[in-house]
Amino acid sequence: MASERPTPPVARPVVHRDVVCPFCGLGCDDLTVEEEPPSTLAVRSTDCPVARDRFSRTPSAEPPRVAGVAVPLAEAVEAAAAVLAAAQAPLVAGLGTDVDGARAALSLAERLGAVVDHALSDGLYRNLAVLQRTGWIATTLAELRNRCDLLLVAGPDPAALHPRLFERWVAPTPAFQTPPSREVAFLCGEPLDATRTALSRIPVTVLPGDPAKIGDAAAALAAALAEPSRVSGAAGIAAGDIAVLAERLRKARYAVVAWAAAAFASPHADLTVERLVGLVRDANRHTRCAGLPLAGYDNVVGVNQVCTWRFGVPLRTSLAGGVPLHDPHRFAWMRYADVADTVVWVSAFRPEVPTFSAGQTVVALAPPGTVFTDEPAVFIPIGTPGIDHPAQVFRSDTVVALRARGLIDRGLPDGATVLKAIATALPQEAPAC
Amino acid sequence: MLTKLAGGRIYDPANGRDGAVGDLFVRDGRIVADPGPSSAPDEVHDLTGRVVMAGAIDIHSHIAGGKVNIARLLMAEEHRAAAEGPCGCVGLATPSTHATGCRYAQMGYTAAFEPAMLPSNARHAHLEMADIPLIDTGGYLVLGNDDLLLELLASGAGEEAVADYVGFMLNATRSLAVKAVNPGGINAFKYNQRRLDVDENGPFHAITPRRILTALAGAVQRLGIPHPLHLHGFNLGVPGNVEATLDSIAAVDGLRLHLTHVQFHAYGMEGDRKFSSAAARVAEAVNRRPNISVDVGQIMFGQTVTASADTMAQMNNAGLAHPKKWVMMDIECDAGCGVVPFRYRDKAFVNALQWAIGLELFLLIEDPWRIFLTTDHPNGAPFTSYPELIRLLMDRDHRLARMAELHPALPEHTILGSLTREYSLGEIATMTRAAPARILGLTDRGHLGPRAVADITVYTDRPDRRAMFEKPDLVFKDGRLIVCDGVVVAVLQGRTHVVEPAYDPKIESWMARRFDERMGQRLTHFRIAEEEIRGGTGLIRHACQPGVF
Repeated sequence: MASERPTPPVARPVVHRDVVCPFCGLGCDDLTVEEEPPSTLAVRSTDCPVARDRFSRTPSAEPPRVAGVAVPLAEAVEAAAAVLAAAQAPLVAGLGTDVDGARAALSLAERLGAVVDHALSDGLYRNLAVLQRTGWIATTLAELRNRCDLLLVAGPDPAALHPRLFERWVAPTPAFQTPPSREVAFLCGEPLDATRTALSRIPVTVLPGDPAKIGDAAAALAAALAEPSRVSGAAGIAAGDIAVLAERLRKARYAVVAWAAAAFASPHADLTVERLVGLVRDANRHTRCAGLPLAGYDNVVGVNQVCTWRFGVPLRTSLAGGVPLHDPHRFAWMRYADVADTVVWVSAFRPEVPTFSAGQTVVALAPPGTVFTDEPAVFIPIGTPGIDHPAQVFRSDTVVALRARGLIDRGLPDGATVLKAIATALPQEAPAC
Repeated sequence: MLTKLAGGRIYDPANGRDGAVGDLFVRDGRIVADPGPSSAPDEVHDLTGRVVMAGAIDIHSHIAGGKVNIARLLMAEEHRAAAEGPCGCVGLATPSTHATGCRYAQMGYTAAFEPAMLPSNARHAHLEMADIPLIDTGGYLVLGNDDLLLELLASGAGEEAVADYVGFMLNATRSLAVKAVNPGGINAFKYNQRRLDVDENGPFHAITPRRILTALAGAVQRLGIPHPLHLHGFNLGVPGNVEATLDSIAAVDGLRLHLTHVQFHAYGMEGDRKFSSAAARVAEAVNRRPNISVDVGQIMFGQTVTASADTMAQMNNAGLAHPKKWVMMDIECDAGCGVVPFRYRDKAFVNALQWAIGLELFLLIEDPWRIFLTTDHPNGAPFTSYPELIRLLMDRDHRLARMAELHPALPEHTILGSLTREYSLGEIATMTRAAPARILGLTDRGHLGPRAVADITVYTDRPDRRAMFEKPDLVFKDGRLIVCDGVVVAVLQGRTHVVEPAYDPKIESWMARRFDERMGQRLTHFRIAEEEIRGGTGLIRHACQPGVF
């Protein structure tokens, strides 16, 4: 009889293959993630600490709170709209969210006349400041993988922030160079053990100079490249070593200079980036060479792209007064947070949020389990892009956007839905052209 | 709901109407036949004395994607300078998505197409296009420097395999057409070659530009894609490049070919300055060959920013950057991008002659169905300069007056002064509506016959054609009024036009292997899902007809 048949066993764990990782900006899309129902995730295909940590953070959904009291979502949305309608100097920041979330957050910011910025735009801006001043020559990850014969890593090993950089983009043999060859030089920084392992079959040179003087080393390299007789030591690196590296750069067929500006410790780190960009440009007088500025945690690159196409200007922009006003100094969120009376903080990728001043009204959209120093006026738990819902995120190189799929259903709304609902609940205005 | 547009002078070249007075009826977003006297319209617009055309269509305008955003980043000061508009829309050469939609709609345009969508950047371009309000969009996929295609060609693959590759790529990236930018040249630049002759093997794949060009033109025909191969030719901006342009026309041997921004490819080397107009030679070739179409890429004077996939050409121009900053990128083994700000000066001889060459092409190419009004926005000028360009085409006195203000040596180097042609309203309607729709395969756009989408623009007939085309009285999108007396009155969302040619899916296993091995990306993630285009409601598919197109 049918009723006596055993229930088919539920496959445990559920295995998700070819999962896109949206967290560090490398855009790895080959992850195998196991799901122990109902909602525990574990990355099995890589030791990447970022992927392992981030995918494993899946606490159960919790209800929104208004002034610390649990309420239904609709009530929290109304409460958020009420406090935002009264804001005089609002800041919409954090912006750790996917493309749809960015669209919704920026639309809300436009309605509010807010300042917009991403939590992690400091590293990005060390690069953008130079792009806006001088421009640059840059490349993308697949070009690095298939064409680069000399990779010059400037400063601290970027693998600390982007763990699979060398495994996925440097260790494979270049497909579009004849004969295929590759070597890696570290300038003012040393490779991590994992990097040495990943590069075990590739010649590695380490020039461990002063990490606060990367720019000086880049300038010395550029000078030696232009005129070998002008070679000098810099940043604690001997002149002879600079000369050898300059000559190697001159003879490279396709050199790439990579850096993670977020890891630069020196003050005015944009000036370090400017020197590196100058080195790349100078090298192109002799050969092909391109920069690879690495950034991109929590889709900061994608959010900056959306902001740029939406308003014509990038992040760190004020939307007060009806015309976007871009000022990377004034409107950096940490600076503007000092004067903002109301903060909308969106952090879909991580449960860490900053502490805001007492007296500031905070509306926080973040994963369940987020711990606040001070209870925000409104807290709405939201899903994580690429875990709870499909999401488009940009890779570090700014060119490739990937679509991550949703893996589990914790019953959490996505950030875009909540932000749109808050905007809808605001007093209505005539559409502006 | 039935809307009647009563008594306008209708310019609808696709249906043979050239200014005859008549009525139009719109129901459910489409034009319908006259329903007869018994049906009462819900809304009537009295258009007596007004000029009525279909919504205009721009076939070549860089409106979205990575290079456009780089241009915006690079030109942030432009936004500060231009932030005094009536509604907060900012940017001239690098408008925001919102401003792009508004400005086009305010000029009576209802569609514009991004002509250089890199495969690796297609998802970005679509995400960005979805944020352009009011107008329809679509993208042309850049091929011809992608290592996988060059590898395929170098392996001796036949036409069928090349067509399968192209067919897959168009489907995967949700594209409308195929674009080739300096075929082979961008790839060669990555090997530090600063030029590549049409019959010279590339440095790695041992394939000539001519072979790439003919393979792509052939694949487009084999797949039956409505729009011919959209070619950004060789040696852009280089004196003497007319030879390569004429050679490209000859190379495709009767296949259909669209030469884009041909103004930048119509230069001779005559005279003291070794820079001369070759517009007459290009025009003669186009006039003689019905398989060839062009858009002009007219330059207009002032500050702009050039944005192109052609890194080989852009690197050569980087020294001319104004202001002095520029960006080059090598991109994902499929192409590149170069962004170089530029200021065209009316007192500079070269810029003045470029301006004249563009106008010569417009006036010497006889068939308005095969020449299109573009500035290659923002390369030659922002698209907002179209009304002035239309006036230059329609008003010889204005043309001559403007010419007299330019570099004094110009008259001896151009035949522009002797050209008496003035475009008619019907020819303008052809060039900006009927012909773009036809050459893109948009069968229900660009005309005002029954079943056409009700994208309609109404103008007051002013002798000052710039004033007329700058500010239409009424613009309808899908039958809804979106612009009234130059003011946007409703913000609608457009659609995305694509083709989905049939191909043999066996190519996918070859590609999947290469994506895994080389691109560090799964092919399945490269493919853009239907639900990603405007939230799943945005696609308009156009038929491919192998053997017809």
